[in-house]
Amino acid sequence: MSDRTGSRTARSGPRRRETRVAYGFLTPWIVGMVVFTIGPILASLYLSFTDYTLLSPPEWLGLENYQRMLEDSRLHKSLLVTVQYVFVSVPLQLALALGLAMLLNRGVRGLPIYRSVYYLPSLLAGSVSIAILWRQIFGSEGLVNQLLAKVGVEGVSWVSHPDYALGTLVVLNAWTFGAPMVIFLAGLRQIPSMYYEAASVDGAGAVSQFFRITIPLLTPIIFFNLILQMIGAFQSFTQAFVVSGGSGGPADSTLLYTLYLYERGFGSFEMGYASALAWTLLVIIAVLTGLNFLFAKRWVFYGD
Amino acid sequence: MRVRSVRTRLSTVAVSATLLLSVAACGDSGGDSGPVELRFSWWGNNDRAQATQKVIDAFQAQNPDIKVSGSSADFNAYFDKLATEVAAGDAPDVITLGGAYPREYGDRGALLDLARVQNELRTDKIDAAALGNGRFEEKQYGVPTGVNTFAVVVNPAVFQKAGVPLPDDSTWTWDDFARIARDISAKSPKGTYGAADPSSADMLDLYSRQRGEGLYTPDGKVAISRNTITEWWTTTVGLRDSGATPPASVTTELEGQPAPEQTLMGRGLAGMQFDWSNQLGSLRKASGQPLELLRAPGESTQKPGMWLQASQIYTVNARTEHPKEAAKFVDFLVNSAEAGKIILTDRGIPANSEVLSAVLPGLNPDQSAQAKFIEKVTPQVGPPLVIGPTGSTDTRLILQRLNAEVLFDRKSPAEAADEFVKQVEAAIGK
Repeated sequence: MSDRTGSRTARSGPRRRETRVAYGFLTPWIVGMVVFTIGPILASLYLSFTDYTLLSPPEWLGLENYQRMLEDSRLHKSLLVTVQYVFVSVPLQLALALGLAMLLNRGVRGLPIYRSVYYLPSLLAGSVSIAILWRQIFGSEGLVNQLLAKVGVEGVSWVSHPDYALGTLVVLNAWTFGAPMVIFLAGLRQIPSMYYEAASVDGAGAVSQFFRITIPLLTPIIFFNLILQMIGAFQSFTQAFVVSGGSGGPADSTLLYTLYLYERGFGSFEMGYASALAWTLLVIIAVLTGLNFLFAKRWVFYGD
Repeated sequence: MRVRSVRTRLSTVAVSATLLLSVAACGDSGGDSGPVELRFSWWGNNDRAQATQKVIDAFQAQNPDIKVSGSSADFNAYFDKLATEVAAGDAPDVITLGGAYPREYGDRGALLDLARVQNELRTDKIDAAALGNGRFEEKQYGVPTGVNTFAVVVNPAVFQKAGVPLPDDSTWTWDDFARIARDISAKSPKGTYGAADPSSADMLDLYSRQRGEGLYTPDGKVAISRNTITEWWTTTVGLRDSGATPPASVTTELEGQPAPEQTLMGRGLAGMQFDWSNQLGSLRKASGQPLELLRAPGESTQKPGMWLQASQIYTVNARTEHPKEAAKFVDFLVNSAEAGKIILTDRGIPANSEVLSAVLPGLNPDQSAQAKFIEKVTPQVGPPLVIGPTGSTDTRLILQRLNAEVLFDRKSPAEAADEFVKQVEAAIGK
């Protein structure tokens, strides 16, 4: 008995010291977090209420920047473009990811190789080089048009036509299905095979097995991927910037929200307005994510 | 016990390393020993970068205590990069600017008033009109690199192949321009056009000046009328429809690639292209053709709209730690025959009269063609250009966007003209 009490008091000393050690190790990260993340975030909140041209000190404007958004027609256009981009590319990407995950889950030989190959675009697609490649592939003399020419179709310059330019970005984003695919694959692995066995004994076909077993049991994973990819898609920047040469063109058809924000801040030195745009984007993403969680109760099935 | 003490020690190391790093970050600017380091930035292609490096080497040979490191980018990327650097307080010491940019940056306090370094940087030999392009509100923010004019570049080979005679640029009109462009397109192989789409902010300046307008008024308002812009776009839509200029998607694709080598003229695929006269050398080299410069159409029938302008302007960062050395470097760039003989006409015809006379004999045919053209148009050009007020650097992009809307038939010329005036007013009204 007495032995136990003794050991307990003895433990609290080292534990406190261990905590201190832990904080010691965390210091570089905490300092980085405060200096490079929290600080700038708070500063941008303040700046969003000011007129700040970078070179002269910010002047307090109150809510003027936020009021201006209501009348900014290019902002409305960029919101429209962003919403189109997110709501088309994310479902497309998730469908591709799920489809390939199911294919790979059937016990293909060399699974690790396929998994890596399909995952690769997720690592690459955010890069400038891929975006440049994309511009070449979908340009007027690009790969796509060369293939089309073989079947006798004369293609247009996809990246520089206002009707199709956003489509090329959607395809680029959908191509990065690797990350959600790997997560889906892990999710599929966790569905006990006895459910499928029982279902096939009862005479359920592949389609109804998919809709009645796979999808319901996978909903938490689908939900997770949806949230993650949607937040990511709202913040897409590099691809649109490079493919459009930084302009969001042609005719603002690829003017993603972040691109417009960047243009205001760094093109026209309207850092105050750009900060207000950034905070508005945060609110938009937060609200949409909140809605997602709200609706999740209706369709996400957490088992047992 | 031992394990724990090692851990404690390691965490102490982590803490102190972090502190040290942040101290180091603050401390690298204090030292007085060693050579002064200057950063110099400009836009342009690889040829310009190589020539500029030679100038830097020559300067360093004369000034062993100053070390200059250069960086360049293409025109679009250059200003994005510069804005970011200025925002971060990390702009180069010597910055190349042009057009309305010196005013934009000067008004915002980013540029040094060169009166403060007049002992190091002399401007007495520099052409007064060109020097005026770097002076705003009594402050000399920049020194011109050279003189330049916006004109028509023609490819005689394309004309010849199509069997179309070169126009007489002392009499031709906009109707002639449209007819010739249409003829060339019709008689050339597919993919070769009579002219590249001519819309640009500089073009609108020229076109409206022929009608006595111009883009801006001297007190910084919009001068161009909706009517003029509507007529302009009606003309260019007509050019597109007749096949004189390429389809919209080709034009928008070209806009993302501003380097001379990537333009239709640089690829030998256009008979005519509006461009700056100092591009002639690059365009000739890229196309491998003996390209010529012509005066703009309509110069003789209406008011002369062409003008001479400082092609680029060297400015000094207001926050530079070495204003004297930076000024000395700019002085070398614009006032020394040695630098002039390397740069030649790549940044316009030298604005320093002594440098020009030193440079002239050494010019190759490309460069002397440009020099002769400037000499020829000098007595014929219109009044000096009114440079746009702060915010007017947006005009270039506003025009690019609306031009795409017009060429893709998403807005009528009149709608786009309204929109143009509205957006430029908003940009300069801030």
